[in-house]
Amino acid sequence: MKIINQKYIALYILFTSTICSAQNLLKELDKEYPDTPTYEIATFKTTRIGLSHSIETRKKGALEISMFNRFWNRPQGGKQGFLADEVNIRLGLDYAFTDNFTAGIGYGTYDKITDGFIKYKFVRQRKDSKKSPFSIAFYQEASFRNIYSETGMNPFYGTVTKDNSKLYGFTSQFIIARKFNTKFSAQISPTFITRNKSFAQDDIKSQFALGMGARYKVGHHVSIVSEYYANFNPVKSVTTYNPFMIGVNWELSHLLLQFQMTNARNFAKDAFIGQTTNNFNFHDGNFHFGFNATFVLHTSKNKL
Amino acid sequence: MNKLKLLLIFSIFSLGNSVAQQFIARQGQVTFFSYASVENIEAKNNQVLSILDFDKKEIAASMLMRAFVFKKDLMHEHFNDSYIESDLYPKATFEGFLLEGLENAGPQTQLIKGKVTIHGITKDVDIKTTIQKTPESYNLTGEFNLTVNDFNIKIPPILSKNIAKIVLVKFNFQYLPHENN
Repeated sequence: MKIINQKYIALYILFTSTICSAQNLLKELDKEYPDTPTYEIATFKTTRIGLSHSIETRKKGALEISMFNRFWNRPQGGKQGFLADEVNIRLGLDYAFTDNFTAGIGYGTYDKITDGFIKYKFVRQRKDSKKSPFSIAFYQEASFRNIYSETGMNPFYGTVTKDNSKLYGFTSQFIIARKFNTKFSAQISPTFITRNKSFAQDDIKSQFALGMGARYKVGHHVSIVSEYYANFNPVKSVTTYNPFMIGVNWELSHLLLQFQMTNARNFAKDAFIGQTTNNFNFHDGNFHFGFNATFVLHTSKNKL
Repeated sequence: MNKLKLLLIFSIFSLGNSVAQQFIARQGQVTFFSYASVENIEAKNNQVLSILDFDKKEIAASMLMRAFVFKKDLMHEHFNDSYIESDLYPKATFEGFLLEGLENAGPQTQLIKGKVTIHGITKDVDIKTTIQKTPESYNLTGEFNLTVNDFNIKIPPILSKNIAKIVLVKFNFQYLPHENN
């Protein structure tokens, strides 16, 4: 009996002594945390993976000033260019009207395409529960260009006169993304493209595609990214290829830099998804080096 | 057996007594400042939890790193994703001891010795605080410095001028009696 008593006392002392440590105060504090949902942040670090948009939207009041470049050489050479024969530069402005809604415009200097987009993220991935495993955004882009040329012919659209040379393209996407862990994120984007003109010989205006993109963080500020679009009904009269990109994204405070290898020359989605006429390899004319620089400016600041 | 019962009753009584001596702060404020040549960074967390036990002279605080608000939202993302890695280490905690008891006089300066855990790494700190008793509550304020390098937070050399090596941390807790027990 006495031994049992001593055992109980020893146990009791042990029990009370653990209760009393500061560690226990921390446990008590853990119970005090309010039960509010936690959402994933930074599924991708940038609003573009490389070729096209990621799931990310900037917080309200953020203005993104961007310069996207693609450099390539002409297959036949014959041009004295610095570093590369040709360059397409898209100058763009994106503004975040709310935390989940962004609109932007841009202009490409080589293909002379003006584009504008809206992006609305309406589902956010939850971190603390399995209820919402994905983030989902809707993306709508409209592009405009004049396809008139001296010859009066366009490889895709056939005979073009000055009067009917305006080409509008509309791209609609759902972007479905998931951050699998701190390093790996991926997204798929079912895409629908339609234009005001039909491809001359195919007699199709609309195209369906599926975009796939992923990033893998190799450091705190650097990630490897890749993107690919599978085109389900490519134009038959012209040989086109699916756009592919592999590259590196690097964030430097407010400046986000992207370096990439790709076969996509254009920046407007209807152009590079449906009308990329060169395959991904290292031949001149096919190999494109991409360099994107984006500066994030905060037009409204949080009050502390 | 009687002795055991007596001990149990006595200790339950004393335990209840000690619980009554606990005070809790649910909306504590922690602010940190980084003064660097390129930019100054300031962030504030208004949802810091802290518990103060006058009986045992113990104190603990816990906060979610996500709850820090920055002037610029991009800083919030970079802080959580690139520096503090709040996916892996969501909380920062402090546990420590008051070196002296509290007398009922006005504001008094006290040294708190304890351990702070940030980014999964624990360091000893001594914090000079001011405790003031108001009717029904206690107010605790103070500040201390933390060396970023101590917590295995890596700053790329190219950004070394954007972030200070030593960060000033200020806090302000309003404690009310902890009635949950």
